[in-house]
Amino acid sequence: MAFVAAGTVVALFVAIVCGLVIGPTSVPTWRVVGDIFAHVGIGHNTLTPLQSTVVWTLRAPRMVIGLLAGSMLAVAGGTYQGVFRNPLADPYLLGVASGAGLGATFAIIDLSHGVGTPTWTPLLAFVGAMAAVIVTWLIGGRSIRSNTSTLILAGVAVASLLTSAQTFLQQQSSAGSITRVYIWLLGSLASAGWGTVWLVFPYVIVCIIICVGAGRALDVMSVGEEESRSLGVPVRRVRFIVIAASSLGTAAIVSAVGLIGFVGIIVPHIVRLLVGTSYRRILPISVIFGAAFLVFADTIARTVIAPSELPLGVVTALIGAPVFVVILSLRRPVPV
Amino acid sequence: MSSVEVNELSVRAGNKTLISDVTLAFEPGTWSTIIGPNGAGKTTLVETIAGLRRPSHGSVSILGEALTEMNERERALRVALVPQHPVVPSGMSVYDYVALGRVAHHGLFHSASPRDRVVVESVLERLSLAEFRGRDVATLSGGERQRMVLARALTQSTMVVVLDEPITGLDLRHQMNMLELMKSEVHECGLTVVATLHDLTLAGQFADRLVLLDRGEVVIDGPAAAVIRSDELAKRYGMNLCVVDVDGADVVVPVRHGDNVNGA
Repeated sequence: MAFVAAGTVVALFVAIVCGLVIGPTSVPTWRVVGDIFAHVGIGHNTLTPLQSTVVWTLRAPRMVIGLLAGSMLAVAGGTYQGVFRNPLADPYLLGVASGAGLGATFAIIDLSHGVGTPTWTPLLAFVGAMAAVIVTWLIGGRSIRSNTSTLILAGVAVASLLTSAQTFLQQQSSAGSITRVYIWLLGSLASAGWGTVWLVFPYVIVCIIICVGAGRALDVMSVGEEESRSLGVPVRRVRFIVIAASSLGTAAIVSAVGLIGFVGIIVPHIVRLLVGTSYRRILPISVIFGAAFLVFADTIARTVIAPSELPLGVVTALIGAPVFVVILSLRRPVPV
Repeated sequence: MSSVEVNELSVRAGNKTLISDVTLAFEPGTWSTIIGPNGAGKTTLVETIAGLRRPSHGSVSILGEALTEMNERERALRVALVPQHPVVPSGMSVYDYVALGRVAHHGLFHSASPRDRVVVESVLERLSLAEFRGRDVATLSGGERQRMVLARALTQSTMVVVLDEPITGLDLRHQMNMLELMKSEVHECGLTVVATLHDLTLAGQFADRLVLLDRGEVVIDGPAAAVIRSDELAKRYGMNLCVVDVDGADVVVPVRHGDNVNGA
């Protein structure tokens, strides 16, 4: 456990440095590391003004949004898997992705003029995501007799409805806006600046803290709803709080960077294979591992075919799937 | 004061009445077993006593306090449940599983205190589970598993323990072991045990008192020996029953109907 924790922290540090150092403008690693220390008051600035702009205005916000997105999606996936006791749960289970997709499509295309209002994309994506989860909860989560499978099924229904509405809108629009919708759907950190970072930061940090704090409750809830109630856990309240936090954080991230798949489902599983089934370990390690993973993936996405970029969602799956398969074959798979 | 008071309790699911106007009181240091045919409402009754179901009418009080007035944590400090079909979360160690019983004591945001750990250790020791502490719960045999579930309930350190068919699927020796373990806890710690059991012979031998339930109503309620020998028992199960005395223990034997009884 300590070994895994130390390993993920090292991976995180390496990912951060890669995120800042690697790119078309070459900046020596030691200068970047020296400048990081200079920023916290140790030593002197080691970068030229140009290098400083490239590192701190272009690469750093992108790297930070990658950290936030990776942590949030990973921890939300982990808590969803715990609260639904279902290994296939991911942060998009209750309709966040399809709601955000519909909202973003609305913003990107404009049926009457052919030109949309892309500046509205984050807002509409966020509203769509939250609306989808709230509708899912109202259908499947409220009644006394409801259990988690009703909620999952409600999520499936809401998601397919919104996805078909999104597909219809997209099909009615021009070729140019279809391309932009696709780019958004596949997720990208390219447009992130410090403004985006500060916008999503408070939501994401609060939501991550709530999710990680729910670890012990999720451990108890692995014995099922009735037994965990008899052990003293207010199951319905925990479920509501955890789903609300995961969904809000995911919606904030999705509105900023689009739909990045795979991180939310695979990172918690990789961590589970490494540290066992306790959510008190899975969740905090997933936060760090998810952050490192997504920044690595983004570094690859923006460099391999530079100056153009690979869609981040494609890269996460391209690296994530083989890594997962290797770990799965090395370790005995542990069910949720 | 009785440790458990069930007062004019009715439980409905939809428009079906599962428990109808049941009034019972259970005293500290006694073992009471609810018997009755399938569908009599035994599980519903004990689940309501454990606080997992809300009464449609009437109330259940533990040590004078109504269950419906308590939150989950307060309830878990007063009554523990050994469920009929416990969920076994594979990947969890036996120690961690048994320690779940202490969650109501230390809370969801604190780690186990030294006292919590002492309680878990002593229960593991008493139930001969100490050697299994590091094992994955999924690798235990049926008997070991049932003992582990009982251990979890005992670490809750409640005055009232509810057992719902605790020996389902166990062989004879493990059935006896499990019930003996529980019986000694009743004597040593003055627990109040409310159990359901299908096996009438074991029910009669281990309980101080039997409550025969049929269609959600109490039919007879009294000392084990009297209930076992009552005519109502056979009538409610709808079959011939014969009670045989074997070395002072009442053994309930089912007898086939009709002219096959004495062989042809």
